[in-house]
Amino acid sequence: MKNAFGALSDEEVRQLTLLVETLDRSGFDFLQLAVADMTLTLSKGTPPPAQMTAIPLPGAAPAALVPRPTAMPTAAATRAPSPPTATLPSPPASAAAPPSGARAPAPRKKAPPEAGTLDIKAPLKGLFYSKPDPASPPFISVGGTVSESSTVCLIEIMKVFNAVPAGVAGVITEICAQDAEIVEAGQTLFRVRPAGSAA
Amino acid sequence: MPFTRVLVANRGEIAVRIIHACQTLGLETVLAVSEADRDSLPARMADRTVCIGPSAATQSYLDPRIIVTAALGTGAEALHPGYGFLAESAELAELCAAHGITFVGPQPDHIRRMGNKLEARTLARLHGVPILPGSEKVHSWEEAAKIAERIGLPVMMKAAAGGGGRGMKVVTAPGDMQRMFTAASAEARSAFGDGTLYLERFIPNARHIEVQVLGDRFGNVIQLGERDCSLQRRHQKVVEEAPAPAITETLREEIHQAAVTLAGKIAYESAGTIEFIVDQDAKTFYFLEMNTRIQVEHPVTETITGIDLVQEQFRIAAGERLSFSQAEVNFTGHAIECRITAELPHEGFRPNPGRITAWNPPVAPHIRLDTHCYAGYVVPIFYDSLLAKLIVYGADRGQAVARMRDALAHFEVGGIGTTLPFLHFVMGHEDFAAGRVNTRLVEELIAQMPNGVGATE
Repeated sequence: MKNAFGALSDEEVRQLTLLVETLDRSGFDFLQLAVADMTLTLSKGTPPPAQMTAIPLPGAAPAALVPRPTAMPTAAATRAPSPPTATLPSPPASAAAPPSGARAPAPRKKAPPEAGTLDIKAPLKGLFYSKPDPASPPFISVGGTVSESSTVCLIEIMKVFNAVPAGVAGVITEICAQDAEIVEAGQTLFRVRPAGSAA
Repeated sequence: MPFTRVLVANRGEIAVRIIHACQTLGLETVLAVSEADRDSLPARMADRTVCIGPSAATQSYLDPRIIVTAALGTGAEALHPGYGFLAESAELAELCAAHGITFVGPQPDHIRRMGNKLEARTLARLHGVPILPGSEKVHSWEEAAKIAERIGLPVMMKAAAGGGGRGMKVVTAPGDMQRMFTAASAEARSAFGDGTLYLERFIPNARHIEVQVLGDRFGNVIQLGERDCSLQRRHQKVVEEAPAPAITETLREEIHQAAVTLAGKIAYESAGTIEFIVDQDAKTFYFLEMNTRIQVEHPVTETITGIDLVQEQFRIAAGERLSFSQAEVNFTGHAIECRITAELPHEGFRPNPGRITAWNPPVAPHIRLDTHCYAGYVVPIFYDSLLAKLIVYGADRGQAVARMRDALAHFEVGGIGTTLPFLHFVMGHEDFAAGRVNTRLVEELIAQMPNGVGATE
C-alpha cells in the first residue's frame, strides 16, 4: 500500500487532487469522469438535478466537465473489479439530502405499520399532492385529526384532480407518499389510528 | 411572411395540426417537447425539436420564460401556442413581443381582457350582450357558500383565468361546497397558474353554442358561423357540430350578431370563439366567455366553410388583411366532431392512460382524423386524455350522423379503454338524432348505455 487511497497509485491520487482543485475553481457544481472501467463523481456539495439531461460536449470526452444524471452524488471513486477502497473527502452532510424538487422517490421506510392503524389507499393511479396548491399548507400532517369526509390529498391523472377523502375518522400516524410522486391504485398513502381506539 | 421559422409550443394532435399548416405555408417548424414527448409523432414531423423540461407541464409547457428561451435559442421568429397550456397567457404574448417574436394569436391586451373571465363579463354587459347572474372573485369556500345562497343553488364554480372545463364544478348541495371549492381551485391553479374562482347560476336545460370569429389588424371582424358543443362530460366537450341543430334562424342570427359586436368592440385580432349558453326553457342566451385561441373543435367550422383557420392565424399574425369578406363565407352541409379520449365512460370517464397496442382508424372521403396516436404509442399520465378528433362531413345532419356512426364502428383501438363505444351509442340514440341535446345529455345517455360495452382495458 503506497498511500492512504489503497488501490490507487500516487500518480492517480495526484491527478484526482488536481481534478478536485480544478472543480473547486470552476463554475461547475459537479464533475463526472468515466474512463474505461472507472467512474468518478466529484461534487461541491450541490447535488446535480436528478433529471438533468446528458449534454454531450463535442471533443470533450473522456475527461470533461460533463453533467450526467446520477443517483446520488457522493465523491467516491470505484474501480472494477476490486471493491471500492478509496474515498475522497466527503461532501457536506446536506449534500446527501435529495435535491429539492427532485422527482426520484427517496427510498421508502419499510417500518411495519403501527398496530391498530388503518390504511388510506390511493383510489386511482396518478400524481400525489399533499397540498391544495404549492403555496398552501398540507391538507393534513402526522398527528392531525381527520373525519371520514376530510380531504387528505389530491391525486392528479391526465390533468384531472381528484380530492381523496380519508374514508375513516382518526389520527394520521404516517404519510407514506411524497409530493408529485406517481402512486399506483391501491397504494397506501396514509396510516390512520381510528377514532376511539387506544393510542 | 415576415417569419420563416415557427416554434410550436404545444403537444398532441394540435401540434400535428399546426406543423401541418406550417408545412403547407412553407414555414420551418421547431417543436417544444417535454421529456415525456421527445419521441412523439409531432416530434418526428417537426424540422427539429427542443426539450423544454421535465414531463410535468408546470415545469415545461406551462412556463412562459422557458418557452420564449426555447424560441430564441432555436432562432424561431414566430410562436404558435395551440390551445390549452399557455395559449391564453398574456404574459407569453408580451414576452414574445418584447423579444421580437411574432405571437400567432391575438394581442396581449385581447388575451388579458377576455382571458380574465370576470372582466369579459363586464365588457359583455357594457356592450348589451346578456350575462348570467353571478359573482366577482370568490376567495374561500365560506364566501362561495354565502354567494350561492344569494343567487340560488345549483351554481357553477369557474376559474377566472381560463376555460376548457378546468376548475369547473357544479354545486347542487351546500355540503359539497368545501370539497368542490378545493378541487376546483387546485385544478384551476394547475391548468392556468391561477386558482381564482367565481360563481354563476347553473342553467340545467342548457345548450352550449359558440361562434367562430376572425379578425385582422385592420379592424375587420367576421364570423364563421356557430358550433353546438352541448354534449359535455366533466364540462369538457365530447361531441361538436356545425351548424347548431334545432334552433330558430332568429336566435342563430342574434347569437352571431352578439359575437361580432363583442369581437368588433375590442378590435379583436386572430381566431377567437365567443361562447354562449342557451337556456332552452327561457329561450334566451347568455354570454359565457371568449376564448382567445384556436379551439379544439375548429375542424367542424373548417369542414363546412372550407377555410383553414390555423393558416388564417398565421396570415393574420403576418399582418395580412383578411382575404375574404363576411358575404364571401359560404356554409355547406353539416359536420360533426367526436373527441376520442383515453377514458372509461362507465367509470365516470375515469382517465385510462397506457400503451396503445392497436390503432386502426376508419378511412373514407368524408372523414378527417386529427391525431398524434399510433399503434405502440404510450399515452402519458401527465397530460389530457384526448387521443383523436374524428370529423365527418354530410350533406345534411342526418347523413353526417349516419356516417359518424359508421366511422366509429370501424375505429379499432386496442390496449387502452376509450370513449369510442360511448360515442357510437350516442350517435345511434334517438335524442341525439332528433337534435334534442343539452349539457346534461351525456349523463342521461351513460345511464342508458348497456354496461360492459365500453369496458375494455
